[in-house]
Amino acid sequence: MEKERYANPYVIGALLGLVLLFTFYTMGRGLGSSSTFARIAVAIVHAIAPGHAKSNPYFSKYLGGPHSPLMAWLVFLTMGAGLGGLFSAFISRRVKGEVARGPSIGISARLWLALFGGMLSGFAARMARGCTSGQALTGASELAFGSWVFMFCIFAGAYGTAVFFRKEWL
Amino acid sequence: MGPLYKYGWFDFAYSLQLAGLIGFCFGFLLERAGFGNPRKLTSIFYLRDFAVLKVMFTAIIVCMVGLLYFSVLGWIDLSRIYLLPTYIWPQIVGGLLLGIGFVMGGYCPTTSVVATVSGKLDGLIFVVGMILGSLVFGEIFPALQHFYESGSMGAVTLPQVLNIQSGVIALGVCLMAVIAYWLVEKVENRFGDPETLPGGSRRAKLTAAGVIVALGLILAIVNPDKIAATRKHAAPVAANSEQSLVSPSAPAGESEQGGAIIVEDEGC
Repeated sequence: MEKERYANPYVIGALLGLVLLFTFYTMGRGLGSSSTFARIAVAIVHAIAPGHAKSNPYFSKYLGGPHSPLMAWLVFLTMGAGLGGLFSAFISRRVKGEVARGPSIGISARLWLALFGGMLSGFAARMARGCTSGQALTGASELAFGSWVFMFCIFAGAYGTAVFFRKEWL
Repeated sequence: MGPLYKYGWFDFAYSLQLAGLIGFCFGFLLERAGFGNPRKLTSIFYLRDFAVLKVMFTAIIVCMVGLLYFSVLGWIDLSRIYLLPTYIWPQIVGGLLLGIGFVMGGYCPTTSVVATVSGKLDGLIFVVGMILGSLVFGEIFPALQHFYESGSMGAVTLPQVLNIQSGVIALGVCLMAVIAYWLVEKVENRFGDPETLPGGSRRAKLTAAGVIVALGLILAIVNPDKIAATRKHAAPVAANSEQSLVSPSAPAGESEQGGAIIVEDEGC
């Protein structure tokens, strides 16, 4: 583990809670990001095979409006998150081209696991109608029943399989 | 009275700018906490560093307590906030799979974006994976649709399911969070690396814990549900007059302001 000091998690959590509260107060909805990637997928399919995208019952949900599927609130939020993350990493001199991994795993193995982990997450987020931010964080704050169940299931899934990926991280 | 957007305070175009600003804060905070680093994120699953749990639980209780106080004070109409509907079976399976994806890939969706912009190639590959995963989901959706819609319970909350008023539930969540913090710090001190764990004085932590529990206790006594119910009769009138004052051109309801575009993916 690199000896890197990050901000106090309780302080960050409290500030994040205020950002979320501000979002609810202004927009009447919470944070999220996973549907951004679904929208990118829909936009790609739509660009290549518009008929196929429109006839698919799931993709067509995102194609109903007058604009491109990328003209959506959460897409702008995700772009903002990218900029904010970049700004923070930049001021702490943490912008660095690398493949983050534990000392006992090779680069290509790590990248394959990142790809499969990403695929699983993208699939799972569509299944659950949201991810860690859109379902767990947002839903739990408004005490949505399914979101609490979902959040504990994330921890259960990760703790239950962590032993298989020990070499990837430690 | 909030939520401002639902009362027509600003239009869709402005809401997108606001999304950019909110996203900026979101991404900034995640990176500050070290959540662009998958080894930091996954160390929670090896009992070494529980920053993920601390950030999440703290954000949840601050926002939850804030929403309930706003409601008590009449600043926000909670019934106008989009509440994620519960589909229990897909949420259980989705949660388990997302957890596996998290420890396998090292990120969750938003943190992978933060990792990508800070130069991590594995973060970018994870993002590509998520797009592919969404694509696969959409392509096989006809086969999944039945399961996807199973276990539908509507937009229910924990207070409704347990039939206990929100204030008491909030107090319970606050107590659970404080106990969880205490517990994970014990575990961290045993398995974690003392050099990377955050400090913080014992006194500050105890004070914060006391404030959290006190805020929850007040909510439990005040009973926000009852107060919101008594206010409900007055709300629509206030809403309409407010709306006509601020944006006289917009008709009542949410049809005009780009609602058709947003409704689709509200929440996720």
